Amino acid sequence: MSGLAGLAESFLQALTAGLLVGCIYGLMCLGLGLIFGVMRVINFAQGDFLMLGMYFTLYLTAGLAGTAVFGTVAIPFIAAICAGPVLFVGGYFLHRLLVSRVTGIRVAGIEGEGHYAQLILTLGVALILENGGLILFGSTPKSVRTPLSASAWEIPLHDTSAVFVNKARSIAALISIAAAAGLYWFIGHSRLGKALRAAADNPEAATYMGIDVDRAHRIAFGIGTGVTAVAGGLVATYSSFQPYVGLEFVIIMYAGVVLGGMGSMLGAFWGGMTIGLVQQLSSLFLSPQLQNSAIFVVFLLIVLIRPQGLFGRRAERT
Amino acid sequence: MGSGRGDMTRALIAIAAIGAIWLAIGLLVSNSYYQLMLTLVPIWAVMGLSWNLLSGYTGLVSFGHASFFGLGAYTVTIALVRFDVTPWFGIPLGMLVGMVAAVVIGYPTFRLRGHYFALAMLAYPLALLYVFEWLGYQEVALPMKREAAAWFMQFADPRAYTVIAVALLLLALVVSLGVERSRFGMSLLAIKQNEPAAEAAGIDTLRWKMRAIMVSGALAAAVGGFYAVVLLVVTPSSVFGMLTSAQALIVALFGGAGTLWGPLIGAAVLIPLSETLRAELGDVVPGIQGIVYGVAIILVILLAPEGVFWRVRDRFSPVRAQPRTDASTSGSSPRVAAPRPTPPTKRVPILRVASLTKSFGGLRAVEDVSFEVEEGALLGIIGPNGAGKTTLFNLLNGFLLPDQGQILFAGTELVGLKPNRICRLGVGRTFQTVRAFARMSVLQNTVVGAYVSEATDAAAFALARQALERVDLAARADAPAGELTNKELRLMELARAMAGRPRLLLLDEPLAGLGSAEIGELLSVIRSLSADGVTVVIIEHTMQAMMRLVDRLIVLDHGRVLAAGQAREVTSDPSVIEAYLGKKWSAARA
Amino acid sequence: MLEVDAISVAYRGLKALTEVSLRVPEGAFVAIIGPNGAGKTTLFKTVSGTVRPLGGRIRFRGHDLLNVSPSQRALLGIAHVPEGRQVFSSLTVLENLEMGAYCSEGRAHWGRNIERIFSLFPVLADRRRQLAGTLSGGEQQMLAIGRGIASSPKLLMLDEPSMGLSPTAADTIFERIEALHQEEGLTTLLVEQRVVEALDSCDTGYVLEAGRVILEGPRDALLADDRVRRSYLGI
Repeated sequence: MSGLAGLAESFLQALTAGLLVGCIYGLMCLGLGLIFGVMRVINFAQGDFLMLGMYFTLYLTAGLAGTAVFGTVAIPFIAAICAGPVLFVGGYFLHRLLVSRVTGIRVAGIEGEGHYAQLILTLGVALILENGGLILFGSTPKSVRTPLSASAWEIPLHDTSAVFVNKARSIAALISIAAAAGLYWFIGHSRLGKALRAAADNPEAATYMGIDVDRAHRIAFGIGTGVTAVAGGLVATYSSFQPYVGLEFVIIMYAGVVLGGMGSMLGAFWGGMTIGLVQQLSSLFLSPQLQNSAIFVVFLLIVLIRPQGLFGRRAERT
Repeated sequence: MGSGRGDMTRALIAIAAIGAIWLAIGLLVSNSYYQLMLTLVPIWAVMGLSWNLLSGYTGLVSFGHASFFGLGAYTVTIALVRFDVTPWFGIPLGMLVGMVAAVVIGYPTFRLRGHYFALAMLAYPLALLYVFEWLGYQEVALPMKREAAAWFMQFADPRAYTVIAVALLLLALVVSLGVERSRFGMSLLAIKQNEPAAEAAGIDTLRWKMRAIMVSGALAAAVGGFYAVVLLVVTPSSVFGMLTSAQALIVALFGGAGTLWGPLIGAAVLIPLSETLRAELGDVVPGIQGIVYGVAIILVILLAPEGVFWRVRDRFSPVRAQPRTDASTSGSSPRVAAPRPTPPTKRVPILRVASLTKSFGGLRAVEDVSFEVEEGALLGIIGPNGAGKTTLFNLLNGFLLPDQGQILFAGTELVGLKPNRICRLGVGRTFQTVRAFARMSVLQNTVVGAYVSEATDAAAFALARQALERVDLAARADAPAGELTNKELRLMELARAMAGRPRLLLLDEPLAGLGSAEIGELLSVIRSLSADGVTVVIIEHTMQAMMRLVDRLIVLDHGRVLAAGQAREVTSDPSVIEAYLGKKWSAARA
Repeated sequence: MLEVDAISVAYRGLKALTEVSLRVPEGAFVAIIGPNGAGKTTLFKTVSGTVRPLGGRIRFRGHDLLNVSPSQRALLGIAHVPEGRQVFSSLTVLENLEMGAYCSEGRAHWGRNIERIFSLFPVLADRRRQLAGTLSGGEQQMLAIGRGIASSPKLLMLDEPSMGLSPTAADTIFERIEALHQEEGLTTLLVEQRVVEALDSCDTGYVLEAGRVILEGPRDALLADDRVRRSYLGI
């Protein structure tokens, strides 16, 4: 096989992987996009909700393994989806108990100071979740076994080469797209979704409409964490993880949301997609350890050069 | 602050005392476990002080001090392992590396605000972590040097490490003291309080931030290098990891960010706590440290966001100004340069604005505005809300760049200059919302404006006092700003602006929220400033007050100059009445 | 319908309102005028619930408002059209109006209300799918008022609707507000800097200065009052 064809094959392989992974990253960025992009709340612990989603999926899969009801193939994905509601509740109460004290109308008057407290507070939450995870789950990397994670569809190219499309990742990607579409529809077109957007856009005016802004924020926050948790569960089906994994993903998620443009849910998804592509394509010429560094560099470049991102409409509020 | 000799000496004595006590304890304790604790607390206290120097004072939260720490650690390690260089040289070398890294990191990152800054700072140590793993430094052990152990900073007696740790701590404390009690610290605090206002008062915010991060980086690198020496094993995650940055942050925050003693208190409480827990429970409950820090951070930010230091202080003494005296009480006040000479009687335009235009997206905020202001005049700018008045001021001040137009101040083109430079040239500005350092005295709040005029801190304080006298607030010079009434706050704003010795004073709604008696007082102060030769341009809404004060008026509406001229003429101008007061009003008066 | 009794509000030690009392009878059009910083917006916010008073009472149709949460007050029939419009800029015009109709009353009468709104402000019908943030000041003001009407309110409170608008746009707004009041008999409370417009349309007025009511009375009395003229022209 000639060098060029080999390169093309590697490229296509990386591209395929990037697209699949990108869908999942898109979903997790969508979760953060709701919280950070729409509500402008800093949640440093977002990556840890991802991590919790992963472990939830792991344990639920193991728990359901005995039952033949769903079949070993489907269980991990169902578990990942179930992680959503569970972590929704987690996020809802986190907001209610802690985050709400540093967000909302009370704080809106204090320019920028709300963000400072949000940063620090959610950093504390992140530390607790990570280390709590360490205690509960142990430090050895885990992964979710699925018969599909090792099998792939083979798409032959015109030579003897072929592109392999991993089955587990493909299903995960499909679920991600479905979930993202569902969320997009909900936020965009349902009455509650519009109320959430209104409450995030202008809490004071929303109150005048009769919207319970505190409750709206809690729900939005919960949805954000739940969605990211589902993405985490999906990642778990093809990648190994340990309790500190959240930290890497925090940067990835913020990079995706910022790249896509603040306030734009669609942008957040595309941003995540792009980051996924960057990560997989960079594997062509960077060693694994440096791939994440590439993402950080991209993040820094975006923030310095084009902070409003690809789809951002408004200039970043000072 | 600054010239409080007595206070400075007291602080130095306190620092020396702490050092002495620590050393004494260190020398007495023989248990190696406690020795390690005695060594670790100062190390993390220094990290906290380092974090404090940047984030505590400026308010720019850094999640990435591990970058400097790790770089210091690796400098020492690689110097020793590869080049056989002793840590005695390695640590200063590491400080240099830390400083360079600080510049490289600071320059682009300071362009970011708030959470973006924090996230970017987070990215650096993570990136470095990956880079060092990739370079192959997964785990590096410092080799044992049996011959000439002391030369290589290796001691059999653990107490020696405590001594070095204390030395580093004393260094960090003295440096922090020097910063805090000088214009360095005050400038940083001013940035934290209100960065635009600090810029407008003449403080070169970027430069001070860079200096802060350089000192901060050097200290963090120094202690990182020492940490490597103590632990003898360096891994990327142990020095570049999140826990390192978090520890620096929480230690400072717990004790009190922005204070000298805060990080020390934080370290003294939290480090033994977490280390003990780790020792006792570490096997059963790995990661107990992280949880302790997480809980501590949450409790602090919710219950005592200013830190334990202030909580305790407030409990034992009511909120008073820091007992820092200034130069004049010690008797020798240096001679302050004479006030600006009164302007010539011939009215010369000191400010010429030509065709100034600024749009935001589709909105024309300021459109083709031109006017002149004579030296010594009192000009009022009025117009309905949203007419572009504050935008105009922001253009004059340098916060916004006009799309078109010129601004000539005493012959110098202002367009393109940074606000602090414009202040230096003689333009002062007050803002609508006054944000003061509540815990500091009125004098300390005011002196920030004097830094642009005076090179020495002592002279700056004297000038600040003068400025306070000019606005009739000298009696409250030592009161904490948090106790001031609205009127007094506004007078303080005026004093701060006057301390910059401006030739032109831009006042943005100085009367907002004042009652009629208070308005009268402020008006007489402004009039006296004008009588001294300062050109005053004032934005206001209350017509009644404006009529009593100004000679000339400019009316802005939808970004354009609607009318300009003598006050009486302008208010009878039918287009002004229509725009500002309503058609029916003129019909009613007709 | 609305009774405000001796309301006092303070922000961080600053007295924003001192013992302010006023009455808005059913079907009336009441105007509140006064200079900037007089506390007019604070008063509205106190009625709406985003600001808590230190003392005093507010009664709305028999309900003691201070026991009712802010979002609940909207459901009682108080529509607050805030200062500066405060439209939801990232939502479309139609979505903004839908939010106005969030409460059950609004939803029940949606069809009728949306027709009224579009006939009163035709430009909103044209731009219904546009993002509210892209509308001009005058259009946003119409949207804000439309949003208020969409809730089928019992009381419509308008906070400086002419602020930042060109004179012509402001005139249009005032016309429509007056039309609304005439046609529906909608109880209206208006806060304005533009003295003449405000007083022209109202039945009774209050003059607020530095947090206190310094003058109150029927329309004609206020229009003729010297103090009122002095407050605005300094003559």
